[in-house]
Amino acid sequence: MAGGAVELIDLNKLYGTMRAVDNINLHIPGGEFFSLLGSSGCGKTTTLRMIAGFEQPTSGHIILDGVDMTETPPHKRHVNTVFQSYALFPHLNVFDNVAFGLRRQKETPENVTRRVGEALELVQLTGFEKRKPAQMSGGQQQRVALARALVLKPAVLLLDEPLGALDARLRKQLQVELKTLQQQVGITFVYVTHDQEEALTMSDRIAIMSQGRIEQIATPEEMYENPATVFVADFLGVSNLMDGIASGADTGGRCKVKLGGTFELAAGRGSAAASGKTKITIRPERVRLEPKGSGGENRIPGTVQRWVYLGNAVQLIVGLATGDKIQALMQNSGEEIPYREGSEVAVHLPATALRVLTDTGVPLASEGD
Amino acid sequence: MSAASGSRAAKSGTGKSGTGENGTGGRGRIAERTFSHRLKVWIANPWGHPRFLVIVAWAYVLISIVPVIVAVQFSFNAGRSVTVWQGFDLTKWYFSEPAYSVWHDPRLQHALFQSLKLAGLDMLIATPLGVLLAIGLARWRGPLASASNFIMLFPLVTPELMMGVALFLVFLNLFKFIPPSTTAQVLGHVTFSLSYVVVIVRGRLFSIGKQYEEAAADLGATPWECLRLVLLPLLLPAIFSSLMMVFAISIDDFVISQWLSCGSDCDTVPIRVYSSTRGAPLPSINALAAIMVYMTLSAIGVAWLVHKFMTRGERPEGRGGMMQNMGGFDM
Repeated sequence: MAGGAVELIDLNKLYGTMRAVDNINLHIPGGEFFSLLGSSGCGKTTTLRMIAGFEQPTSGHIILDGVDMTETPPHKRHVNTVFQSYALFPHLNVFDNVAFGLRRQKETPENVTRRVGEALELVQLTGFEKRKPAQMSGGQQQRVALARALVLKPAVLLLDEPLGALDARLRKQLQVELKTLQQQVGITFVYVTHDQEEALTMSDRIAIMSQGRIEQIATPEEMYENPATVFVADFLGVSNLMDGIASGADTGGRCKVKLGGTFELAAGRGSAAASGKTKITIRPERVRLEPKGSGGENRIPGTVQRWVYLGNAVQLIVGLATGDKIQALMQNSGEEIPYREGSEVAVHLPATALRVLTDTGVPLASEGD
Repeated sequence: MSAASGSRAAKSGTGKSGTGENGTGGRGRIAERTFSHRLKVWIANPWGHPRFLVIVAWAYVLISIVPVIVAVQFSFNAGRSVTVWQGFDLTKWYFSEPAYSVWHDPRLQHALFQSLKLAGLDMLIATPLGVLLAIGLARWRGPLASASNFIMLFPLVTPELMMGVALFLVFLNLFKFIPPSTTAQVLGHVTFSLSYVVVIVRGRLFSIGKQYEEAAADLGATPWECLRLVLLPLLLPAIFSSLMMVFAISIDDFVISQWLSCGSDCDTVPIRVYSSTRGAPLPSINALAAIMVYMTLSAIGVAWLVHKFMTRGERPEGRGGMMQNMGGFDM
């Protein structure tokens, strides 16, 4: 289905002197599953509410399919919202809840009945028409909210942490369903969440927000593999962040980074030409542990400090000789992992997985994720 | 279509209930259940069942209800005394006695109807006004709004006598075209009962929040449709509570009715009870007062039933009482 392109131009929202949304520029093509990801208070919900029309931007424009909607009141925008609290009308039953929007459009009763039926079938709630919202489980209410919004065939569906109130198992299941549904109906989804896993599994593209600004817009894979800023690396998954001194590219086009004053590493990702103080990062699952004394480049001696059994993997916290602490994740492949707490190891940080970050983004929270 | 996942959701939805795991782990020693031991435990644990509070609460209830019970009791007195019990007669002072029963004494009958008229009109005028005022005040932001919010509470905190005198002077000097009359009494009652409606409705408005209105707007409802189809239905319990509350405080009012009274034709039940007890009271006065008690009680009873009926779908666990919803005071 064509249409549903959302464009945000220089969007700002100030509450008093507080910048909730700070100069956001964003283009979401029609039919995309786009996520706004960030911790609470980062401005993602405010952005969504501005697209829906509940908040007026302080400055900037919201453009939907080429038409400037900035001044349009919410009831005249061709977007619909699935609220975090669902906001199902408690005095109406499921049928009337879903039919609410259609009746506002002065649809004929036959059309209302038919389209409500279709929408409920889409979310697999046929037969629940007479129920009141309070008589349904959280997951079912969530589906009603979805049907109520989708029945109007909006160009864009806005979802404000729709799975936030559900338990972990149901959430996982609905993630898959939501993605399937989005592909089925083919409309643009703008999805707000603080759950990185949710964003990674469902989205076509993600924007990570912090303090009202967008840190990076990328596909999930790109975002995870090549975080643009220290903030993104830290926010998305577990990253090992270490301070280093970069000194430009070596002959292989990799960045030379000195760690802890003595250990020279080669980093194959990020800006190779970086020099001066920098941060290097590596994902825990890329860290290799080798027996003590193994030779080769990018190897630093260390001691296993903690050994945590996770079931499908083993997490090891290793204290490096540089003074840094690093997390390593070893898949549980059935083989014995020869390292225990106190084991001396050589930590291999493969150059292909090691990334130099020059852009810090916003200052990190005192506590990493 | 992913039909399989739907049934999975239904299953996991129902699977959660009924898995209460009460850890009843075995204790090492079993405490002795002697009286002195229990007393020790009770004193040592002031966070247990609040016995003192229960006793105080019951004492309060009894003390406050005894005078009412005595007054009602004497409305069934077979004799003419309001102080000496002379036997039981269920109907005498209500309507059997041919000259002085509530029904046959024209002054008492008139007072009853005057009270009902005032309370009814007050209820029908103050409630819609108060609902609109509450919605307006809840939506309106700015310094003027907070001033209005504050001023609106004046009738609640002003001594009623002041209210009465003030209203009397207003009608005497400013609105000269309204002489002391039933009209003046109704206007007076509306003036001071309005605040109660606003407080009740505003409490409910705050507990409803903005989410339903936003959802309605999102689905294409105009502001008017929003009010009519979403907000008013959700406010119904509060509106009903307001009706009952206004009725109860209006029928109970003495001071304002008295100040704006046009003489014996404007006498309400409280005024009549007051003037009669200063003369030679008959149990018919008790009967009249008792009728008011019955009416107030049934108003509260009806309010409770209707509120329960109207909000039955909202809290499946039955948590949060009527009072919580009715009087969500947020001052």
